[in-house]
Amino acid sequence: MKILIVEDEKELALDIAQYMSGENYLCEIASTYFQALEKISLYNYDCILLDLMLPGGDGLKILDALKEQRKTDGVIILSAKNALEDKIKGLQLGADDYLAKPFHHSELAARIHSVIRRKQFDNSDVIALEELRIDLQAKSITVNDKPVVLTKKEFDLLLFFIGNKNKVISKSALAEHLSGDIADMFDNHDFVYAHVKNLKRKLTESGYNNYLKTIYGTGYKWEI
Amino acid sequence: MGNMNKLLHKPFKAFTIYALLILAASIPVYFYVVDFIWNKELDEHNQIVKERIESRMTSIRMPEQKLDTIIKFWNIMQPGTNMVPVTIPLQKDSIYTVIRENQHGDKIELDRFRGLAAPITIADKHYLLTVETNVEETDETLIAIALVTVAFFSLLVIGFIILNKRIARRIWQPFQNTLEKLKTFDLATHNDITFEKSDIEEFETLNQTLTKLINKNITVYQIQKRFIENASHELQTPLAVLKSKADLLLQQKSITGEQLEILNAFNIPLSRVTRINKNLLLLAKIENHQFENTEVNELAAIVSESLEMLSDYTADKGIQPEFHPLETPVILGNRSLLEILINNLLTNAIRHNNVNGKLIIEIKNNTLSVSNSGVDPLRSGELFRRFSVSSSETTSSGLGLSIVKEICNRYHWEIVYDFDQNKHRFTVRF
Repeated sequence: MKILIVEDEKELALDIAQYMSGENYLCEIASTYFQALEKISLYNYDCILLDLMLPGGDGLKILDALKEQRKTDGVIILSAKNALEDKIKGLQLGADDYLAKPFHHSELAARIHSVIRRKQFDNSDVIALEELRIDLQAKSITVNDKPVVLTKKEFDLLLFFIGNKNKVISKSALAEHLSGDIADMFDNHDFVYAHVKNLKRKLTESGYNNYLKTIYGTGYKWEI
Repeated sequence: MGNMNKLLHKPFKAFTIYALLILAASIPVYFYVVDFIWNKELDEHNQIVKERIESRMTSIRMPEQKLDTIIKFWNIMQPGTNMVPVTIPLQKDSIYTVIRENQHGDKIELDRFRGLAAPITIADKHYLLTVETNVEETDETLIAIALVTVAFFSLLVIGFIILNKRIARRIWQPFQNTLEKLKTFDLATHNDITFEKSDIEEFETLNQTLTKLINKNITVYQIQKRFIENASHELQTPLAVLKSKADLLLQQKSITGEQLEILNAFNIPLSRVTRINKNLLLLAKIENHQFENTEVNELAAIVSESLEMLSDYTADKGIQPEFHPLETPVILGNRSLLEILINNLLTNAIRHNNVNGKLIIEIKNNTLSVSNSGVDPLRSGELFRRFSVSSSETTSSGLGLSIVKEICNRYHWEIVYDFDQNKHRFTVRF
């Protein structure tokens, strides 16, 4: 799967590419407005990560260009401005998601995973992983064809882990994922531990292998 | 005399005291002047009477015996004058003042007389002629003058008061206008201030100086604001890179437990800086009126949502929030700002709460109050200032309440803090 990273901060672009490289993703980088325009007209991407403040032009215009060329690439806006107007405007112009800088790579990976999945499977949205099947429409899972009841937060966590296979995910990244902006107002994220523990218990009780590893003092890793 | 005359009170008092002193001093002066003129006029009068008598008496020729009889009769008929024969004549005229009882009248009282004693010669015989005229008594003159003076003094004071009032109202009007304008001026709203023109030099100078001062302040304020805004914008990208590098480091296969610990310790201040930066940007945005669109919001619904979002954190601390929406007011304002306000108040109440503490939220009389358990009252004076609560807590940005205050200012809502029965309480009046 191909990802285009439109980002003028080279370090950040390379880091994203490095984080995503473990999966079967192929990342390309465009660091100016014109480079980005050139690349989107030449190739098709599964997902485009779009910084709005680019040397040479406004990132939102790239959304216009995609629309004109009738391209259906998934787009996630990455913005340092975190302005509501930008978010609304971007989503209206056809972006699929919006992520404010600074962000955890795991959060970005989960969103990329979700955008690509939506683009590829449209309605019959089921993820199969070994003996686990996740129905994204019904928000339900089965293990060995037996249904397992998860809370909304446990379901969210499961998707997050699956979007970050074989990555170490810090507790704070999980807390941010679950409670958004509020998370960084607290220094105690112990509730994450409780949710993960419950998820783990439910999965193992129903016969799923223990893929979810605890990294002591740091976070978790979905090893598969 | 109201507020207006406060300044004029001082000269008014001084003028009044001065007038009182001068008028009091004038009483004896008037008295001596009046008495002097009176005596002088009477002396002149007595002299004229004496001269008239002398010239008439010396012009008649008659026998000595008849003359004696006439003089006797004269003395009886003319009570103001008296003639007695003397052997040794007086060398010259003499003037005297005498106080004696007035025997002719119903009442017996003391009267003052001004007298002239003069030698006259009638038909080669020497006589002593005395002429006496009644003079007003000293005490009577004094009382009259004092009464008149008091009357004039009263008139003067009444005049002062009336004039003072009028002058104050008219002359100080431009000053009053300037003062009113200054009272309503707020640097943060960056509205320019214009003073009314005044034809009084001092006020015009004052207005011009104030305008200069205020314009300078506005400029400095805006430069400072822009600086904070730019600085936090510039910090965004390096912070994003730092966070990104920390995430990547975490993925290293060869990382040891010791290194993980350092990495974790490194993440805590990093997220604090990120939070501070985010809040500074948010403050700048609120100040720049970047949350313009106004919606109709149901307060109770937003509080419920916020509580739901925070349920993990309350459960973590063993807090069971009590929410009492006694009313369901609708609030006009930007929804994001209202959410930020409520989130900040609630997160504060959870973070600074005791384990198993209380969290009570009430909506009534168009106010929202959030109270939580606590031990010591906070210093309410500095509470809403930026970075005023220096805290060892790692996630505190020191800006949460400043943001709450800024949002309240923006919509002219009132926020107060109080501490009662071991509970901190913040109340927002919409």
